[in-house]
Amino acid sequence: MSTATAADERISGSSKISKVLKRPESGAMVAAIVIFLWFALTTDAFATSGGSSTWLLGSSTIGIMAVAVALLMIGGEFDLSAGAMTGFTGLLVGILCTEYGLNIWVAILVALVLALAIGALNGFLVMKTGLPSFIVTLGTFFVLQGVNLAGTKALIGQVAIQGMAKVPYYDQPRTLFGSAFTWGENGSVYASVFWWVGVTAIATWILMRTRVGNWIFALGGAQQSARQVGVPVFKAKIGLFMTTAAAGWLVGMLTLFRTSTVQANTGVGQEFIYIICAVVGGCLLTGGYGSAIGATFGALIYGMVNQGIVYSGWDSNWLKTFLGAMLLGAVLLNEWVRRRAEQSR
Amino acid sequence: MTEQDSKNMDTLVEVRKIGKRYGNIIALSDVSTTVRAGEVTCVLGDNGAGKSTFIKILAGSHAHTDGELLVDGQERHFSSPREALDAGIATVYQDLAVVPLMPVWRNFFLGSEATKGKGPLKRLDVDFMKKTTKTELAAMGIDLRDVDQPIGTLSGGERQCVAIARAVYFGARVLILDEPTAALGVKQSGVVLKYIAKARDRGLGVVFITHNPHHAHPVGDRFMLLRRGKSLGDFAKADLPMDELVSMMAGGAELEALAHELERSMGADSAVVSELKEDLK
Amino acid sequence: MFSLTKRNAHMKKHRILGTLGAAVLVGSVLAACSGTGKEEDSATTTTGGTKNSGLTYAVITHSGPGDAFWDRVKSGAEKAGADYGATVQYNNDPDPAKQSQLIDSAVASKVNGIVVSMANPDGLEESVKKAVAAGIPVVTINSGLDKFKDFGAITHIGQSEAIAGEAVGARLKAEGGKKAICVIQEAGNVGLEERCKAAATAFGAMENLQVDGTDDAAVQASVTSKLQADPSIDTVLALGGQYAIDAVNAVGESGSKAKVATFDLSEDVVTNIESGKISFAVDQQPYVQGFLGVTTLYLKSINGNDVGGGQPINSGPAFVTKDNAAQVAEFAAKGTR
Repeated sequence: MSTATAADERISGSSKISKVLKRPESGAMVAAIVIFLWFALTTDAFATSGGSSTWLLGSSTIGIMAVAVALLMIGGEFDLSAGAMTGFTGLLVGILCTEYGLNIWVAILVALVLALAIGALNGFLVMKTGLPSFIVTLGTFFVLQGVNLAGTKALIGQVAIQGMAKVPYYDQPRTLFGSAFTWGENGSVYASVFWWVGVTAIATWILMRTRVGNWIFALGGAQQSARQVGVPVFKAKIGLFMTTAAAGWLVGMLTLFRTSTVQANTGVGQEFIYIICAVVGGCLLTGGYGSAIGATFGALIYGMVNQGIVYSGWDSNWLKTFLGAMLLGAVLLNEWVRRRAEQSR
Repeated sequence: MTEQDSKNMDTLVEVRKIGKRYGNIIALSDVSTTVRAGEVTCVLGDNGAGKSTFIKILAGSHAHTDGELLVDGQERHFSSPREALDAGIATVYQDLAVVPLMPVWRNFFLGSEATKGKGPLKRLDVDFMKKTTKTELAAMGIDLRDVDQPIGTLSGGERQCVAIARAVYFGARVLILDEPTAALGVKQSGVVLKYIAKARDRGLGVVFITHNPHHAHPVGDRFMLLRRGKSLGDFAKADLPMDELVSMMAGGAELEALAHELERSMGADSAVVSELKEDLK
Repeated sequence: MFSLTKRNAHMKKHRILGTLGAAVLVGSVLAACSGTGKEEDSATTTTGGTKNSGLTYAVITHSGPGDAFWDRVKSGAEKAGADYGATVQYNNDPDPAKQSQLIDSAVASKVNGIVVSMANPDGLEESVKKAVAAGIPVVTINSGLDKFKDFGAITHIGQSEAIAGEAVGARLKAEGGKKAICVIQEAGNVGLEERCKAAATAFGAMENLQVDGTDDAAVQASVTSKLQADPSIDTVLALGGQYAIDAVNAVGESGSKAKVATFDLSEDVVTNIESGKISFAVDQQPYVQGFLGVTTLYLKSINGNDVGGGQPINSGPAFVTKDNAAQVAEFAAKGTR
């Protein structure tokens, strides 16, 4: 590798393709295309505007979380409270508005501040105690799950927000979080899809083009080394936990204002889906490697398979089996593409 | 470069009878040497000889308790690595402070990234960083095909070199290398020695810490030997031929004692013992 | 991928399985069952019957996975589909956001009718209204009594949770219960909360016990601890067949003398009623909900009928006690009651 001649000649055209394939998200991208084509060709409705809008919607909220979780995973940590956070923020806004008559925007802001505080607490506990984030956030997850159920029940006597649509100024945040454009014959593209694209773009920008992005890779890759060269490890980690919490808040709002309800168990069990999507998208479980776009493709795969199984008319009792097999297939394809790219170096 | 009269040289760092005590434990005492621009000062010693204490004093991790530390003729007491860095003293530790999965150029600028643009558009100046990494490494004699490859794919010697080049680029005048050849094979060690010479030729003062006299002698201009926290002396290259350095390092008297010990436990005709005795002759 | 065009000439099903195996490496599970010929049933659900009418109905419920009650709804719907020669697609998700996406999917695939259970009507409002607007007839079952009319559904088939709950509460009181717990197996289900509330109104001293319905061992443990903690509890009200069994086990384990009553049936529940371990069960007849749901849509499709005349249809409550248990047991064994 150290032949001392003109540099650019050695990077030839053919290796440019392998350079693209070497990106962490390329495997997920290929898998997503294969899965799309497969459902598009085997079912009638999947690729129509109506069909596409359902799996885009399903992918969008998962995708927003998966991108934030991917950033955190690249930074070397997990957040198992991310799923419960979507329920917590939605319930909080719902309760503050329907039960206490708080201004809807104020309630949204309160929820954001609280979410950020919980995220910061997660990060603080992880950094101060040195315990694995897996354990710390598992604790937060259970606490939130309990608060979601008990708190909601205690405050409004029910376990789901009802009557949200009657709250004054409900239409304003609904435009922002829950509205939809009609698309084609019977499709509608929801606001959450645009949020998803925006979040992915910003996360990619941060990861690839800012100092903070450089730090995130370093945190997960070799935290001690990062500290030695002057990366503000403590601040950056806490920032990452606050990011997933903020994403949880965003998804909470998207859910609340699209369906006008949130249940006490909303988001529980989703935290692993986010991690799975990030991993399918090329994130290493050990940290230091991955991409935001990859997580988005991971979520897209999840959303497409989830709805595609419905369109295929397969027995839904097998849904989880199909889903698992498809995800496994996607990861294997992902691995295969990456290995081929490595070999063609 | 050959040894020259020290008065003509630009002295960067000088330590005079420096020492470090942790409570009543004396980790280092009575150590004196100088680091000059364009010279390599080798610090030799076995495990536990006090090398790492010496590095920590220079690097600012621990303040010294006895003697004097002079930087550019001024007496200094570093209380943090940052202060040492600001004074132009950079340390390349054994683990190199690199992130294996990250591209070479990202590693090179990690913690001191170059940016362009303002406000929310403030972004990494990727082209500049890639170009700089390439030229800086080329100046050290490493020609990478692709600075985008993960640094983990480089050989151990090359990684050392990136770490050295990074320290040089970010304004180091004195470079402390902590056992850079310890984990490397013969060939890779040779590569690193080449880069040490390169850094020296660029006018840096290098402190090369090692336990291997064969690595130290070819590149060193001064040799400071440590044993059990004490200096065995500070020599210019002219005053200390290779074989003398080796025997001082090996500690002739101690080896003789070891040979006797082994003879008692293993018998006089044991291969190990006879070989050891052969060496001592 | 490459094999797709080549196999286009073959039967659709084989193409599906072939490509899946080749492209997505799904593996042996699917490949193995493609050869048996038996997977026709499980893969596309029920067509069959005397002749194929070409009609497709989607049944979309808020059930969690592996729930015995909803399996009966599914059986009823599939039986109706088979009888009428219609295809029935059954899907479920307890999260209203996801359930609404399932409805959207059904609308996009232009099914001939949708049967939906609305445990959280607010969450489904938009999707159900969209389906109605697209000209797809909708029938609600099980939950959603209050909202079916607003949303434009033809009718609602189920039992009023309030009426059933009150009936159960009154009966428990008449049997001499003083202090009761109501075991809720699913956090966030409005219908379950309503049952307990109605039962408590009629009964008096009844408090709720939240348990994790996906884990029977945990349900049993929770009930056991509750009974041990408060020996004065003499009545346990379970809200689902399998949870009644957990409650019976918990009563045995804790040495309590509490009576167990339950909503909904299963074979084991009937056996326990016969042996006196469960005093009674109130059956909302889930099989009826699934069967009548599809039947209502079928009548709409072939004859334009609006069953129910804008009013809900009661599928229950039917009380199952020691007196009629033997008769019910026969059907419960087949998994239809």
